[in-house]
Amino acid sequence: MNKLILFRMLQEEIRLNTSFASGKGFYSFPVLVLISGLLATLFSDVMIEDMGYVDYLQILHVSAIFYGLFAGSLAFFGNEFLERIFGYFGLIIGLSTTHPITQRKITFLYFCKEIIFYSFFTMLPALIGALIGTYFTNINITSLSIFSMTLYVSFCTGISFAYYISSFYRKSISHAIIYSTVFITIYAILFRGEEITGTLDWYLNKEMKQLALGTIVPIFLSLIATLNITEHNNVSSISIIGYKNRFKEYSEKYTWAEKFGIPGILAKERIDLERSKTGTKMFFSFLFPLGFLTFMNWFLDKGLPIQIDFNTIFYGVMIGFFGTMLYSWLNSIDTPHFYSTLPVQVSDVIRARLLLFGTITWWIPLIFMALISYMSNELDLLPIGIIVMITVGIYIVNYTAMSTGLKTNSALFDAFVFIKFFFISVPPMIAMTILSLAINHRPSTILVALSLICGILSLLSLFFYRKIDTKWTNESFD
Amino acid sequence: MSVIECKKLSKNYDEVEALRNIDLEVKEGEFFGLLGPNGAGKTTLLKILTCQLKSSNGKAEVFSLDTFTNFETIKPKIAIVPEQESPPSFLTPREVLELVVNIRQINGKDIDYWLNFFELDKMEGRVCRNLSRGQKQKVMLASAFISNTKLMFLDEPFINLDPLVQSKVREWLKEYVEKGGTVFINTHLLENAERLCDRAAIIHQGKIQSLITLKDLRKQNLTLERLFHEIVV
Repeated sequence: MNKLILFRMLQEEIRLNTSFASGKGFYSFPVLVLISGLLATLFSDVMIEDMGYVDYLQILHVSAIFYGLFAGSLAFFGNEFLERIFGYFGLIIGLSTTHPITQRKITFLYFCKEIIFYSFFTMLPALIGALIGTYFTNINITSLSIFSMTLYVSFCTGISFAYYISSFYRKSISHAIIYSTVFITIYAILFRGEEITGTLDWYLNKEMKQLALGTIVPIFLSLIATLNITEHNNVSSISIIGYKNRFKEYSEKYTWAEKFGIPGILAKERIDLERSKTGTKMFFSFLFPLGFLTFMNWFLDKGLPIQIDFNTIFYGVMIGFFGTMLYSWLNSIDTPHFYSTLPVQVSDVIRARLLLFGTITWWIPLIFMALISYMSNELDLLPIGIIVMITVGIYIVNYTAMSTGLKTNSALFDAFVFIKFFFISVPPMIAMTILSLAINHRPSTILVALSLICGILSLLSLFFYRKIDTKWTNESFD
Repeated sequence: MSVIECKKLSKNYDEVEALRNIDLEVKEGEFFGLLGPNGAGKTTLLKILTCQLKSSNGKAEVFSLDTFTNFETIKPKIAIVPEQESPPSFLTPREVLELVVNIRQINGKDIDYWLNFFELDKMEGRVCRNLSRGQKQKVMLASAFISNTKLMFLDEPFINLDPLVQSKVREWLKEYVEKGGTVFINTHLLENAERLCDRAAIIHQGKIQSLITLKDLRKQNLTLERLFHEIVV
């Protein structure tokens, strides 16, 4: 029976993903990953030369852990998201409510499904790409295969950690925070003075004890998580009664915005944002990528022979880019199905969310910008940083809104949409990053170049904004 | 005057033929029922008529306007209760009705009436996310009824409602039609259809199998249930 459930879960995962994206788009994703694996091998010499052998391998392991964590978070915290987007969404994992199978068992099978799915969908194509790459480089095929296995263990550690956190989250948010901190502390103590993962330590130093330790970590995490799952846990994050009627007040407040959106929609979206407490989630979702960036900054400083300091302008570019996340959060608060009963178009709702992005959620990136420039003693660069952040933010969010509509997360699963998104977002970011890093050398020239790019991005933002109507008119809310 | 008209209407999803050559006409002031088993194509037809879906072939008109290209003219004139009860999760029932009134730009004086009618006044201070399915369905019905339109599309409106509310809704709908309104209802609850509809169509496997005038059916001492069984089984 377990095998059958597992098989059906895998089928369900594929069908779910192909319903988000086009079938072609979904099946092209492994090809994209294969190409990435190939490129990583082809350019590994350059990277090793720049960063150093050990640091490069460490960065790959850290990335594998984070990737596992990301994949696991999508899986274990995705149900709530799916329900909000699609209304009721029945998945096999919900079988335990109507059939004689325990939550523990079905959740464990779901975890196994996740590992199998991501292994075949991303890890295996990446390995194949890397193996093809060995044909063009001097990298030994056996050592690359062994290193890939160690990377795979790191990926499993990440995904198991997400499973572990989710098992505590079922009890309460505070349980999740406390027990993740406990695990991180124990991990830090265990690997203090060693490489970042046990398997990497074994790969570099041939210490069998470290291999055993590294392999036990994901097994231990998933075991704890499985044992931790009991029946009838229910986390309620919003109160049940006591809401004041705010609609009239807000719709009157937004009469000034009639030119850009329907005040009623703006009021509804604003209330959604407040009552779902998504603002807090948005704030914390910025911490993760920014923390990762700061870590990379520190890591590159450690590995590179020359000192590179990411300045406030660079962070302005990055934080502006993370605007996509804010817009995506706005799209995951509630299902838009009710709008289909009213005389409004998908484009009306998109425009309302863009306006909310610009008027309500602006404080989140601004707080981070101010903090970063203060901590790096670069308050003089803050005004330029803010202008860059706003320009990049508006540009990327308008493009995201135009290309993905109200289903940002699921649309980006489509390889074709993702590739377009990549080519629209990455080149201006690279250009601005290079300019930001060179600001101290020729400030006036750099400022002119930055202004020019900001001007072009603003024009393109306007173009994307205007295209929203033509692209999303007559689209359904389904 | 006909308010709904379909001619040779078809809809395909990849290789699945959801609707096949539908010919249909609903006159102003009629209570029209579309009956059929699950998966017969009822919701697909309703979505095409309410400007939510494009047909593959043929003509679909509401108020003599093509439904796919005249969204802006048709949508303010119709009210819809969709198959799934999905009122905004984070609004209270009163706020939902205020949203409807605001977007449709109509008078909001009836909000209290509809909250009382569906006994939603007792739910003040609760957001829809925390309501039962039946209560959510009441919010959806109140949103449609408050819209004050001449044409109403209802997709399985009685699902999840208790018998008392069902009867109240039936009475209100009858009165609405008597006053000149038109109702297009999708249902597989034949008893309700029999009590309410002037005419009905039975749809099966995407095709209209029979068009019935309920009066004539009664004259022949036939019931909808018997006819339905003959056609579908």
